[in-house]
Amino acid sequence: MRLEVTINGDPYRPNIDPAATVLQVLRDDLGLTGTKWGCLTGDCGACTVIVDGRTIVACLQLAAQVDGANITTVEGLAGRGNTMSDLQDAFVRHGAAQCGFCTPGMIVAAEQLVRDGIEPDEQAIREGLSGNLCRCTGYNKIVDAVVEVASRR
Amino acid sequence: MSVTENTRQGESDRNRVVGRRIPKLDAAEKVTGSTVYIDDMRIAGVLTAAIKRSPHAHARIVSIDTTEAEALPGVHAVIHAGNADQRPFGYGNDNEPLKRSKVRCIGDEVAAVAAVDDEVAKLAIELIDVTYDLLPEVDDPFAAMSADAPTIHDELDIDGNIAMRWDFETGDLAAAEARSAVIVEGRYSSPQAAPAPIETHAVIADFDPTGHLRVISPVHMVFMYRKALADCLGLDWQRITVQQPPVGGSFGGKIDIDTHDFITVMLARAAQRPVKLVMTREEEFVGSRTRQPIHFKLRTGADADGMITFRDAEVVSDNGAYNAWGSHAMLVAMNTVTSLYKIPASRMSCAVVYTNKNYGGSVRGFGNPQATFAVEQQTEELADALGIDPMQFRLQNANKANETTTQGLKITTCGLSDCIEAVRDKSGWNRRRGKQRGRFRGMGAATYIHVGGGARIYGSDGCGAMIKIDDSGQVALISGSSELGQGSETVLAMIVAEELGVGVDVVSVTHNDTDVKPWDVGVHASRTTFVAGNAARLAARGARTKLLAAAAEVLDVPVTKLDLRDGMIIHDGDRDTAMPYTKAIRRSLLREHSSIVMSTAFYDPPTEKQDEGYIGNISATYGFGAHVAEVEVDPETGMIQLINLWAAHDVGRAINPMSCEGQIEGGAVMGIGLALSEELPVTDGRFLAPNLHDYGMPTAVDAPRIDVTLVETIDPLGPYGAKGIGEGGIICPPAAIANAVADAIGIRPRQYPMRPWKVVDWIKREERSTVIDRRGAASS
Amino acid sequence: MNTAAAPRTTGTPRLHRPADLGEAVRFLADNPGAVPVAGGTDLLIDRRLGRITTDCMVDISHLDISGIERDGDHLRIGATTTIRTIETSTELAVSAPALLEAARVLGSIQIRNMATLGGNLCHATPSAEMPPPLLVFDAEATIVSSSGWRTIELAQLFTGPGETSLQPGELLTGVTAHVGDGIGSCYIRQTVRWAMDLAGVGVAASVRIEPETNGIVSSVRVALAAVNPVPTVVEGLDSIVVGKTLDADVLDEAAALARRSASPISDARGTAQYRRHVVGVLTARALRVCTARAANTWPPNRAVPPNGFDPELLVDSGVTR
Repeated sequence: MRLEVTINGDPYRPNIDPAATVLQVLRDDLGLTGTKWGCLTGDCGACTVIVDGRTIVACLQLAAQVDGANITTVEGLAGRGNTMSDLQDAFVRHGAAQCGFCTPGMIVAAEQLVRDGIEPDEQAIREGLSGNLCRCTGYNKIVDAVVEVASRR
Repeated sequence: MSVTENTRQGESDRNRVVGRRIPKLDAAEKVTGSTVYIDDMRIAGVLTAAIKRSPHAHARIVSIDTTEAEALPGVHAVIHAGNADQRPFGYGNDNEPLKRSKVRCIGDEVAAVAAVDDEVAKLAIELIDVTYDLLPEVDDPFAAMSADAPTIHDELDIDGNIAMRWDFETGDLAAAEARSAVIVEGRYSSPQAAPAPIETHAVIADFDPTGHLRVISPVHMVFMYRKALADCLGLDWQRITVQQPPVGGSFGGKIDIDTHDFITVMLARAAQRPVKLVMTREEEFVGSRTRQPIHFKLRTGADADGMITFRDAEVVSDNGAYNAWGSHAMLVAMNTVTSLYKIPASRMSCAVVYTNKNYGGSVRGFGNPQATFAVEQQTEELADALGIDPMQFRLQNANKANETTTQGLKITTCGLSDCIEAVRDKSGWNRRRGKQRGRFRGMGAATYIHVGGGARIYGSDGCGAMIKIDDSGQVALISGSSELGQGSETVLAMIVAEELGVGVDVVSVTHNDTDVKPWDVGVHASRTTFVAGNAARLAARGARTKLLAAAAEVLDVPVTKLDLRDGMIIHDGDRDTAMPYTKAIRRSLLREHSSIVMSTAFYDPPTEKQDEGYIGNISATYGFGAHVAEVEVDPETGMIQLINLWAAHDVGRAINPMSCEGQIEGGAVMGIGLALSEELPVTDGRFLAPNLHDYGMPTAVDAPRIDVTLVETIDPLGPYGAKGIGEGGIICPPAAIANAVADAIGIRPRQYPMRPWKVVDWIKREERSTVIDRRGAASS
Repeated sequence: MNTAAAPRTTGTPRLHRPADLGEAVRFLADNPGAVPVAGGTDLLIDRRLGRITTDCMVDISHLDISGIERDGDHLRIGATTTIRTIETSTELAVSAPALLEAARVLGSIQIRNMATLGGNLCHATPSAEMPPPLLVFDAEATIVSSSGWRTIELAQLFTGPGETSLQPGELLTGVTAHVGDGIGSCYIRQTVRWAMDLAGVGVAASVRIEPETNGIVSSVRVALAAVNPVPTVVEGLDSIVVGKTLDADVLDEAAALARRSASPISDARGTAQYRRHVVGVLTARALRVCTARAANTWPPNRAVPPNGFDPELLVDSGVTR
């Protein structure tokens, strides 16, 4: 079936398997491999993307159900150029990425928390990011980066 | 603290790069999602691999019928022990990639396919028909040691199921025991856990038409990997290239060759096409290596003055079905038993026992969290029995610089006491420990010793480095080491920049191709900053000498009058006439009889291979640290909330403090996971929960903010005084949290993870260690 | 090609997207093997792991069966209402905090943005969070099929682990809970981790205090998750609690009854004996919170800890030394 979606501001019309997930469409059909996967059970959050202003795990979302939607992935956080958003820059400066595998999902989840106006409160941010597992950083530096951007933006 | 090259006067002024919080070189690409991991690679003509695994913990393979799978359109290769060219591998050659006669654990590989896509590969696996003859199985190491236990490796000439023994003894234990005022006895156990990186294992293998093999793998003992591939599969190791793309976390799980690596290469050989294997999360838990359970029966004594007299450990390591790296974790556990604090006499007798379970590999901390859990609980139990504050007890027994332990570990620098004092003071220990029980809150501490300057487990403990500076002035370091996400390439670049006198932004690091990079043992044992760092520093020193010589020649001045700082060549201290080093490079190059700067170095630390009694200085330096944990325990449900964790670590010198903190914070949260939640529960050899919702990896709300203190002791041999810090963070939390639970509710945790039902059970049984007080009557 | 991410079966999968509820039920009637999919957070895992083999799915996510509506003492929640909508509902914060508290601990924000109430109920996981808080509000389930509508008590929906009383062709469209003034409710649970975990034991409770009676209970409900094959209402509480104030003795009796209502199994999330013990602990805690809420003595902005633990209440209780 034909899917019509806007991804990071650009229109896409891939021909998809009706049972394909958003993750499969992004990675396999469109080559947008910035979005990672770590479990396919919704437990790690590595495949988090924003669909119409809400974060979802792309591994458990049927693509056909998001027909017409506006999707933002890690590749689209800084607009369409090869730059970094304030949040991405904060992740860099705070050392919030180590192996980087959870980072795309983590940063997308954090971006939506900031867009939703989360208070720059450590505990609230920890709760907001509890669906994104990071095995490297111990979370301190991720939380620091998000607190900084949440208080600035 | 000895005055050495590393602490020479004025060095702190000279350091322009070392000591700065510099973001990882690859941070920008990681936060934008542009890093290409193995599963992100698109390779023309690649086939998908899938593995047929045993559903049984112990069974004889009667027959394997692959007829239907081979007939399935889209299947390019079906392999099994009957048609594959393979040899045994592993310590003691007790394993083979595809099992021939027996399976010994669930997940054992019996066949594999390469097919046009995932769908066909999975279907082909379903169509392979394996007939098994079930054998009695044993998943408990103590049961496995009994006379009537089923033999797991009947083909090996060993004593029952005991894969190997590690026995150590030093000092006069009987005399030490006789002069002890108090002796504590207890049993302590740890579970099967997993490294569980977010990126699962993946590997790509491809033979070119001439038969040259290229393997793309996250492995980080890459030269041993290449040799193991050649040995097991009958390949020419001079015709194998291993490439290491960015790794989505390892924590030891991807250190070395594993069965699926061999299988992927065998499939590529059979199919004559590139083959890619990516494990699912379920497969990762069942079919890749774990942290093995270790059971300690420990006795520790102290005299009336509160000085430790002896430690005596009987250890059973639940090895699982084969010997992988986990069988050698006893080496590290032994360091803690013999050498954490001054221990005049110690004994460790250890049996590594085969069981019908997934087998132990190398996981961050490598036996040390398990050993420290036993040792450091008894430290506080002893102190309490003697009525001495546990921190005071630790301080008076603490290791010191320039001491050699009874196991022969030569401690050069030692920040243990500084670390203890730091966490004691920051946590408010003196005001709060032992005083919050009414509110179900408690505090506990733990300390550690861990190798921090290499670990000689192989003939060489060395690492090579090469530097080239091209006409642009870009400095390329080619290191034998590997980057796993821990930030070592940034640290290496900083060392090179510092040593050369240039900015870190002009240094690139290459470390991902065996065709290019010089030899290295690999990334393990917290050795990279120390060993690869020293190699890089030596290569940079050589490059600096050559660069200054070239500059002296083109400027026609004595080289002794030249300095290179901040990228400028300065003559006789005159900054006004300084010349960019890039200019010197080009003037030396763009002429007849031209030259360019290249430099190589190989650094092998002054470590010793331990003798048959395990005596010897295995590492060139040792890392130390101390943690304090504060918990609130709900005594009715047994749920534990970790409220605070303070961590102080002797890092030698923090080359990049942000990176040091990141290692410690991340390690600590892995340790918190071990302490409170992470477990692969096994019943009848079967994982009850091979998935991330049951496994129990800590989320951002399960871990508190980790409070980190970096203690700098400036190691005489480390690069700029640095020690390894990759594993230190994970070691203390299980012990510190157990001690905090004991402080909160007065019972003694016996095992981790301290899942809620165990806590309730300990409360019900009033679990405590046996304390023999020889000053009066024995009590328990 | 992404090797592992592909949840595929051997047949050609179909996803039917009906225009309205009528078309949906007609399609379900004509295709008995078809499975409704809304959020997909359970279904897609089941498909990938081969627990469900159907290749025919019906997308109900866009049908007009979502939303939260208060009509007097009736609280209607549509089947495709997301868990996140329940969690953030200002109406539920006032009338049924138990529902909000159950929603808040279910998975992550991402999962709650996708998962629906109907999916959570119909997947019928014994540890599911949403059934207990609905059961303590005497909820009814509304079911439609091509032959018409029917309403059942929610408790009758659950027939076993992963099994419901829905017949082929039937679709759950929503639930109706019975709320009202003077009712306090809450949901607490025991877990291994503090987030992203499934309940080892979950307990919802509701208590109605008669006005001006100084705490006399006029109705009480307790419902349990994860300790029986199906979510369970504790039967027989009325005779212990109603007409009394919830003092320590009454709480003990209620807790003991709740324990007897549990027949847990031992698995990766706890032993049977432990879970039965925790049922009693959490029941007493939940009833305490409910009573305070019903009597308006619970500070509105004071969050209940996920396990209801209040150290102050245990001090001097002799629980441990």
